[in-house]
Amino acid sequence: MPQSITDLTQGMPVEIGKIDRELKRLWQEGEGAATRASLINFAVFCESSDKMHEMTDVIAEITKDHACRAILIGMDPTIEHAPVQACITAHCHLSKAGQKQVCCEQITFLLGKDGLPMIPNIVFSHLDSDLPLVLWWRGEFPAESEEQLWTWVDRLIYDSQMWTHVPGQVELLRTAIEPASPRITLCDLNWTRSLYIRQAVAQIFDHPEYLGELPALSSVEITHAPGMRSTAMLLAGWLAAQLQWHPHTSIGVNVYFHDRTGKLVTVTLKEQPGAPIGGIRLLAGKASMTVAHHEGSGFLHADIVLPDGRESHYLMPGGKEDIVSLLNDELMSGGKHKVYLRALAAVVPVL
Amino acid sequence: MINPPIFPTLNAAVTPKNSEQTNPFREGLSSRPMPQPCTVVIFGATGDLTKRKLIPALYNLAADGDLPSALTVVGFARRDKSDEVFRTELGDDTKKFSRSTVQDELWQSFASRIFYHRSEFGDPEGYKSLAKRLDEIDAQYGTRGNRLFYLSVAPSEFEGILKNLKDFKLNESPSGGWTRVIVEKPFGYDLATATELNSVVAATFAEKDTFRIDHFLGKETAQNIMVLRFANGIFEPLWNHKYIDHVQITASEPLGVEGRGPYYDHSGALRDMVQNHLLQLLCLTAMEPPTDLSADSVRDEKVKVVRSIRPLKGADVATNVVRGQYAAGAINGKNVIAYREEDRVNPQSDTETFVALKVNVDNWRWADIPFYVRVGKRLPKGGTEIAVQFRAAPPVLFNKSANEVGANVLVIRIQPDEGISLRMQAKIPGTALRIEPVKMDFHYGTSFGKASPEAYERLLLDAMSGDATLFARRDEVEQAWKFIDEIEHAWHESDTPPSLYPYPSGSWGPKEADDLIERDGRAWRRL
Repeated sequence: MPQSITDLTQGMPVEIGKIDRELKRLWQEGEGAATRASLINFAVFCESSDKMHEMTDVIAEITKDHACRAILIGMDPTIEHAPVQACITAHCHLSKAGQKQVCCEQITFLLGKDGLPMIPNIVFSHLDSDLPLVLWWRGEFPAESEEQLWTWVDRLIYDSQMWTHVPGQVELLRTAIEPASPRITLCDLNWTRSLYIRQAVAQIFDHPEYLGELPALSSVEITHAPGMRSTAMLLAGWLAAQLQWHPHTSIGVNVYFHDRTGKLVTVTLKEQPGAPIGGIRLLAGKASMTVAHHEGSGFLHADIVLPDGRESHYLMPGGKEDIVSLLNDELMSGGKHKVYLRALAAVVPVL
Repeated sequence: MINPPIFPTLNAAVTPKNSEQTNPFREGLSSRPMPQPCTVVIFGATGDLTKRKLIPALYNLAADGDLPSALTVVGFARRDKSDEVFRTELGDDTKKFSRSTVQDELWQSFASRIFYHRSEFGDPEGYKSLAKRLDEIDAQYGTRGNRLFYLSVAPSEFEGILKNLKDFKLNESPSGGWTRVIVEKPFGYDLATATELNSVVAATFAEKDTFRIDHFLGKETAQNIMVLRFANGIFEPLWNHKYIDHVQITASEPLGVEGRGPYYDHSGALRDMVQNHLLQLLCLTAMEPPTDLSADSVRDEKVKVVRSIRPLKGADVATNVVRGQYAAGAINGKNVIAYREEDRVNPQSDTETFVALKVNVDNWRWADIPFYVRVGKRLPKGGTEIAVQFRAAPPVLFNKSANEVGANVLVIRIQPDEGISLRMQAKIPGTALRIEPVKMDFHYGTSFGKASPEAYERLLLDAMSGDATLFARRDEVEQAWKFIDEIEHAWHESDTPPSLYPYPSGSWGPKEADDLIERDGRAWRRL
């Protein structure tokens, strides 16, 4: 049986043509007690209507750190020939600065089976003007999409870990966003997932003595959780892109690259239950640098052994892997993610 | 124009120019230079600043992953205690004063690299053993001989500490590394002592390695002044004598001297606040755009502002400066005592707890535009802000006099509730044409969920990275003292010193401060 929007979220149902009026009324009722804040438009496309309740909870958490107007769009393939349903809701929390109640608004839309072409219009007509548009596209990209949508998006968030065929999706994405390329920033949560590991590795090599061992790097072991091979591959791609390795081949759990001198470097991907990326170990001659999650610890543990036997141990921020933390990390970061694009380019040939 | 492809090819990877020295993994992860491994040596390590600010700041930096992994801290002080006791005490203090929750696992790791070194500040033996200990730490923890000395002691101790550092070659930078010193305010008591102090520091450390800390400059909003002015196209064209009527800089606090009686009675509001914090804010407001964001480019422009401040001499002081001292009164519904009744304050003290000044910056941009500066204790509200009041629009259209058409005011709130607001005129709904001021208000705390780092976090990190932009330079400090000295001279050494006006605690200062601005046809802002 087709679902109604009130089954899927806890908002107040509104007519689409009256959303602005109802939002205004919502804020007038709370005037004086709450401050509406918005720095971005945060649109979320939910591939399945079953996830809309969960996404509303995610949005509520996100608004605590990122004041936004949220636009949640869900699709229910069981709904045919029915008008789009909409509802509005507010997410309020106490500001960290004091006792002020800060609120963000969410507009939710439920589309039917043939609703995909309506998405651009729904997004365009409900944007908070002049604010950047961040679109989180859950799931896979459709074979055909509206070109104009991408040209309006400032940051496109997706999770390549959910893709069944990475090269195919990369190609689809490349084609879809080509016209928007000067503006759009691609933000892959699968890349964000390795952020703290990458930061820890970078922090190790900030030390000039450890940096001196890098040319001898000959093999790498990456431990990843089941289903997170693509995350590990992106991490390998990062090493390859930054050290200018060229992909050679992939056999079983091993991926081979040639370094700048032509030497073969082996990256071994080991599956092990635990964090998406459980750890990484870099072997450079007799030196080794290991960054790993330890059970029961919220930090990454870095262990360095130098060729003369000296050992060092450091704790570094470990981050969290839940979706809210990933989105928060992504929304906090700026820039064009050029390194991600290079990392992706480095591993696509050996996927 | 051909747009670059969004997906680069593998060959598009950029080769670092100096690939032998550059960490290739840093790209895209940090927009600021990461400091090198180092040891922070804190002189006066058992004092309040260490436990309230410095160690919590370093801990928070570690929690955020902003510290170099090989970082150690050595506390240098007179009291006898072990490393373990020092760590335990700091652990308790950090739990109390840190902006983020202290996590035991990280604290244990961080604290294991904190050491305590007992010595008198003037005892050469203490420095000899310090040098040995620092070498051992370098060997064991990989800190590579990079050292940041933090002088959190009274200025009278500077000379002894610095001389000993020099005698034991602790001021010398290792090959390819650095040695720096952070000096806490006050940077002297007047121009003569500041010059002397600077010479003492300069005898041991080069100016490029000397970091004079003014925590006001580490505050997010103070840093935002330059962004607001130079990253927004709409303000800079208006930022001059043609469009600005005047500027008000206010630092008010309801607190009294709070146990700082002996220090405060010796310095007063002019030396304690105006010479450093408020003149720094004035410089950031009045400076020209720097050629780049390097430390010296920014500081060059700030120095030009201080040099352009019209000196106040003799009778000018009585005309342009009002000093006051709080009498008994009430704050937040509670009776409070007069300044002269405060603990360890001279009952006949003529130290000012309130100052209001009219300052002129004699350059092209600010010709005849006054900066009204006021600072005081025991005022009704706490707050620091810069208010730029624009000239009023011509009153010809709305049948109103110039005074009735309110001016636009841009307010930069430094603390608390950091933010920016713009007051403008708007029509009140209705059939009649009624114009009233309305306010567009931006609050950091409302718009950004993430808490700003403490000023000391930013400043310590900058000092470790060698970025002196937010630190005062020698010429800046000495120029500021030159201006202040003339006022102090008129107050304390002239035959006819201007009066010291009492004001009730809980008021906005003496009536004479209102007169100072009202005789120019203006009024102090209501905070």
